[in-house]
Amino acid sequence: MDEFQEILQDFLVESFELIEQLDQDLVELENTPEDLELLNGIFRVAHTVKGASSFLNFDVLTHLTHHMEDVLNKARHGELLITPDVMDVVLESIDLMKALLNTIRDTSADAGIDVSECVVKLDKVSGGTGEVETPVVQEAAPVEEVVEEETVEESASEDEPDYDNMTPDDLEAEIERLLQERQAEDKVKRDAKIAAGESVPSLEPEEEVTPEPTPEPAATTPVPVTPTPAKAAPKAAAPAKKAPVVEQTIRVDVKRLDHLMNLIGELVLAKNRLIKINDDVEERYEGEEFLEELNQVVSIVSLVTTDLQIAVMKTRMLPIGKVFNKFPRMIRDLTRELDKKIELEIFGEDTELDKSIVEEVGDPLVHIIRNSCDHGIEIPSVRAENGKPETGTIKLKAYNEGNQIVIQIDDDGKGLDVEMLKNKCLDKGLITEKEAESMSDKEAFALIFKPGFSTAAAVTNVSGRGVGMDVVKTNIEKVNGIIDIDSELGVGTSIKLKIPLTLAIIQALLVGVQEEHYAIPLASVLETVRISKDEIYTVEGRSVMRLREEVLSLVHIGDIFEVERILDASEHAYVVVLGLGTSKLGLIVDTLVGQEEIVIKSLGEYLKGIEGVAGATIRGDGGVTLIVDVVALMEIAKNVKSTALTDTTSDAALIHEKSKPSDYVVMIVDDSKTDRTVMRKALEPLGLTLIEAGDGQEALNILKQGDHHFDAMLIDIEMPRMDGYTLATEIKKYNRYKNLPLIAVTSRTGKSDRMRGVESGMVEYITKPYSSDYLSSVVQRNINFKSEFL
Amino acid sequence: MSDKLKQIISKQNEKQEETLDHSDDIVQLVGFVIGEEEYAIPILAIQEIIKPFPWTRVPQVPKYVVGVFNMRGAVIPLIDLRLKFGLSPKKQSDETRFIVMRHGDDIAGFVIDRLTMAIRIKKSDIGPPPETLAGDDTMIDGVGKQEDRIITILKVDKLLKRDF
Repeated sequence: MDEFQEILQDFLVESFELIEQLDQDLVELENTPEDLELLNGIFRVAHTVKGASSFLNFDVLTHLTHHMEDVLNKARHGELLITPDVMDVVLESIDLMKALLNTIRDTSADAGIDVSECVVKLDKVSGGTGEVETPVVQEAAPVEEVVEEETVEESASEDEPDYDNMTPDDLEAEIERLLQERQAEDKVKRDAKIAAGESVPSLEPEEEVTPEPTPEPAATTPVPVTPTPAKAAPKAAAPAKKAPVVEQTIRVDVKRLDHLMNLIGELVLAKNRLIKINDDVEERYEGEEFLEELNQVVSIVSLVTTDLQIAVMKTRMLPIGKVFNKFPRMIRDLTRELDKKIELEIFGEDTELDKSIVEEVGDPLVHIIRNSCDHGIEIPSVRAENGKPETGTIKLKAYNEGNQIVIQIDDDGKGLDVEMLKNKCLDKGLITEKEAESMSDKEAFALIFKPGFSTAAAVTNVSGRGVGMDVVKTNIEKVNGIIDIDSELGVGTSIKLKIPLTLAIIQALLVGVQEEHYAIPLASVLETVRISKDEIYTVEGRSVMRLREEVLSLVHIGDIFEVERILDASEHAYVVVLGLGTSKLGLIVDTLVGQEEIVIKSLGEYLKGIEGVAGATIRGDGGVTLIVDVVALMEIAKNVKSTALTDTTSDAALIHEKSKPSDYVVMIVDDSKTDRTVMRKALEPLGLTLIEAGDGQEALNILKQGDHHFDAMLIDIEMPRMDGYTLATEIKKYNRYKNLPLIAVTSRTGKSDRMRGVESGMVEYITKPYSSDYLSSVVQRNINFKSEFL
Repeated sequence: MSDKLKQIISKQNEKQEETLDHSDDIVQLVGFVIGEEEYAIPILAIQEIIKPFPWTRVPQVPKYVVGVFNMRGAVIPLIDLRLKFGLSPKKQSDETRFIVMRHGDDIAGFVIDRLTMAIRIKKSDIGPPPETLAGDDTMIDGVGKQEDRIITILKVDKLLKRDF
């Protein structure tokens, strides 16, 4: 059973690969019906699938492919001309074949699909009567009867397992045929390479290795062969011929590559830590000799890690051609369905992308191309009227741009009508009148991605159901991609999908807000600007700033991530200008930390789907930093009322209604126990709650813990660890303590001392010695002690 | 003297054998305290118990999800059981621990007030949760009775399930 499964897997993988190529070949074939190379290739696919499926007892599939083979074989021998009608039948049968293969993949059996109708058609095309024995029986259908003698022979001679039963002549012919096939294939490959401007030095000698070099490569029908002298075992000959052309590849389970990628991720994190440690060490042991050596090692490690990362990334890369291949067929079907003339030009199908991304971009491209065919390209008569060639062109391009891949879809159709788009959206209530007015052309183009939007007047089979383009947007955004649309009315539309090369490791800009850090994917950052508070204006309750010629709407990162404003914001702030397609947003942050390569880690099942957070990464210091989801952030920003840099002092928390004297809390900060006791004695009669701290550091920690809401602080100036001035300055950094009265209690009496006290934010200055009454009255005054408590 | 020792040793061996005999019926739990109550979870659900650790706050989550922390390269959510159980927040002390629990692929760290001990309890001593608390939503797996105390045994899968 297991062995069967293994064979089945191989069969499926092989078949799907063959079919992928088949679609393209068939469409090409329609344009050049006489191309024997192509025909041979297509015939071989049908033949291979037939052979394998009969071996695996998939009778329905065998039955179908057998008839396909008949038709193709005749065409190959020039007995049948491939007309569009014939092609329709062939394409239909290939669709059936795909459906069957899918069924086999899902259920391991080929039941449930009726192929008889198609087989009849195929049979008619190949000149038969159309009376074909209905298949689906357990035994392979005895269809040979409707097939001409020649075909039987041909296909029989090609069934590889039959080698043993062949006559020597047949064998000779078969060997010859296989050889020619191979050579023909090689020639095609060579031609392609030459066309692509590559030199082909290594191919020639390789070909010489084949046991029987024949001078003329391309040939279709078996030519009499010069008998080979030492033809030992024919069985061995076949594999021997194949050996030199076997591709140097290994199939690897994707899971293994994913695991490898994860390990590399860990390595990158370790590298980041190493660099950080190196920096620290450098600072501490400046000038030491061993530093240079350490530096070298660190830079080698970081260099190799980067190379390794790229190498592993490359193993996961697939050419985008894998996705592009299905489009010629799709366009062909669409042109017939829509009665339009459309040509598809493909460029850069060799461009490589990460496997997971290749899988994600397939669907969006289908939608975009369908859309271009349906809405973009006009019908031939209209095109002629507008002075365009009747045949419309869709260009599909892929190319590298920085560390992004750009997939560009251009059509020369009617283009997008901005006014019509806006009206349509207004009708459907997708946007408001006001939004429509203030909308730029680019923003209007982006309307086609709104869910529920469809410009098709009538719902056709092809598009117009109002789903599709929004799927494009979600899928592309899922892989951190950006969509850019450009269009000119009457000239055409160009859609660009900009997609990152890989998903796992990205460049990020690290920003700080209060005591927290966040990572913003660098791909979405256009620029950073340093601004002062007075450059921020408020328009309709939203903060904006002027950036060169533009007005940029602003949002504070703290408002989005509910960051508590503990530290006072400084006069200056930084604005990170985020760009996503056509929309821009300024994100206000407190500090810019720097650029770093980060490894995206998921927050796990428990925390998935948090708005505005794309994941997390582990920093050089071992801490976790959240990664900003720019797409979601832009959405959230629309609904966040920016408090920007306005002072939202959380005074509310401090102004508790005082109902008894002990609701008042005063902190006494002094390093001398005696002094603390003296102050305590002076204040105790009032019934206040008194908290003591031995030095500035301790006082600050008590404040930070936030267990009490202090109404005033009595601070000694001379203290170990942190003196009174420093303490006052530190306290004033916190927004919520801005208005906390700080009273200096000191024996320093100099004028300059008093000045320093005022500078650091002290409101009163009591010099030792003092009377208890004086101290008490000063405190009472500063905490607004209610007289009724006295 | 040595006779006495032998006696003691043989007694101990007997005891051990006894417990081994019934090992099928015995559940091993780890007990911990949150607020005033003692709770327990199966020892096998615990990946590790660690001392408090710096963590990173995560926005837009309920208060009891205090954030995420880095455990040897994995980003793990941290849940404060005091807050989850509706108690008032408390400063972390020397006894505070993070218990990292795992159930299938789900993993999270939980802040608890203090550990008590590893508990071996007979299955027969575990009763069902009180009827008023029974139901599909309950986090209580059962109630263990041991000498003079009652231990609430929690369902790890329910603890690890996201409920917001």
